Amino acid sequence: MIKRELKINLKSFLIWELILIGMFLIVYLIYPYIITDETMKSMDELMGIFPEEVLKTFNMDMSSIATAYGWLKTEGFMFVLLIVGIYSSLLGGNIVLKEENDKTIEFLATLPIKRSKILVNKMIVSMIYIFSMVLLLGIFNYIALTISGDFDQKQFLLLSITPLMIGLPFFAINLLISTFMHKTKKVVGISLGMVFISYFLNICSELSSKVEFLKYFSIYTLADTRNVISEIRINPIIIIISIVITIVFIISSYIRYQKKEFI
Amino acid sequence: MDTILELKHLKKYYGSIRGIEDVSLKIHKGEIYGFIGPNGSGKSTTIRTLLGLVNKTSGEVLIKGKPFNPDDIEIKQKIGYLPSEINLYDDMTVKQILDYQQTFFPKDCQQKRNELVKLFKLEENKKIEDLSLGNKKKVGIVLAFMQEPEIIILDEPTSGLDPIMQNVFHNLLLQEKEKGTTILYSSHLLNEVSSICDKVGFIKDGVMIKEDFIDNINKENYTYLTISSKDIHKIKKELKCKIISEKENEIVFLNNIDPNSLLKILSKYQLDKLIIQEISLEDLFMNYYK
Repeated sequence: MIKRELKINLKSFLIWELILIGMFLIVYLIYPYIITDETMKSMDELMGIFPEEVLKTFNMDMSSIATAYGWLKTEGFMFVLLIVGIYSSLLGGNIVLKEENDKTIEFLATLPIKRSKILVNKMIVSMIYIFSMVLLLGIFNYIALTISGDFDQKQFLLLSITPLMIGLPFFAINLLISTFMHKTKKVVGISLGMVFISYFLNICSELSSKVEFLKYFSIYTLADTRNVISEIRINPIIIIISIVITIVFIISSYIRYQKKEFI
Repeated sequence: MDTILELKHLKKYYGSIRGIEDVSLKIHKGEIYGFIGPNGSGKSTTIRTLLGLVNKTSGEVLIKGKPFNPDDIEIKQKIGYLPSEINLYDDMTVKQILDYQQTFFPKDCQQKRNELVKLFKLEENKKIEDLSLGNKKKVGIVLAFMQEPEIIILDEPTSGLDPIMQNVFHNLLLQEKEKGTTILYSSHLLNEVSSICDKVGFIKDGVMIKEDFIDNINKENYTYLTISSKDIHKIKKELKCKIISEKENEIVFLNNIDPNSLLKILSKYQLDKLIIQEISLEDLFMNYYK
């Protein structure tokens, strides 16, 4: 079953992975040509116009975009977090529910296999793909950055791990939601909405101290990229919260799936 | 005789909507049980509840005398199921779906599988999405039978099959019965199952309304009795038979009173018309649902 699940989910994994790698590849290829002393000067002037809060949102207050690595730490990683968030959410919302949506669950659930095993097998495959997405992108970036110039390896390694802090909770939350649904159509909207609202709340929370509390309602707070860039460490509390959220929602999905009716 | 499958007062409600109200039945080893009812009577809900696809509201499902647990792998290895609507993985070929099912069973069933594929003239290299409804049904039949299960549950198995294949399928059922396989055969057509079933149960509005051996039903000697008389109300009172239709002084009864007793009763009255017609099993079935 795991082999089949890996096979049918490979295509969407490759598409999302290629979007990420493709974007970085383009940036690495064109960066040496677009970043010159002159463009940097006009860029600095442009940055001066923006308030500090806006620059903070993209980590531009603490990192320069004069190099490819600098760009990766700012806009680049925002994009990675968004893509990994979308991919993990969609995977969580679809991987189990697709069987019901396509009505193949009647075939699968009447075979000699426990419901719990169906769920666990699908979760294993999802974890393999979420980790692979982060790992492959990390390897690609490592090779590209090694070729293009100096970079802080430890900082890069920690930064590369941060998408997992949001990817796993997004997956687990959407997995639980999917156990209450019968059609994937509704879940896709919820999954995407959750990612974008969460991303938006995180950005808002950084714009003003008055709305800083919004960060508690955003999964993206768990990405903690600012701390990784400035302190070169991931806050252990963030790791614990991310793991706890993931485990709680996975256990809830497990319990709920045992009782689910395949209508 | 060993009871293989037993349902005791099975009830299923989807919130406040009735699925089935009260279904009880018993199937013994090697028996083919015809589970008969019109569309929407609760046949598929009964099957889906007994297989654990939906949770029962109350009642019991016993397999070989033990409460059925849908997570019991050993028992599930002994059950073959053919749903009324076949939904398989469209991206797979026939060969791939048969191979895939085989990975869930420890027993090698290659020989039986080959026999069935040959019997139903299936092309194993065809993709599921390219199959017609009838061919998908054939794949479903092969999937339900290839592991040589002890219990086979069939929900409207012949829908989509041409008459030749229906015949092939019925012969397969009789062979399985010979081997001692227990079969629950759900259908909305009594004449489809009457030639192969040992026992039939009739379900209406989620309730089992009658259960008997096919032979006994045949022996009940029901007839249509048409009587026209000015004493029709007195006759109606005395016969106490189910009325099929009624107009002025003429009534059509569903009669199972033996001929001598019937003549004794009717001889007391002045009759204008008396017609006694034989009734087919299918007509009898229809009368249960009027």
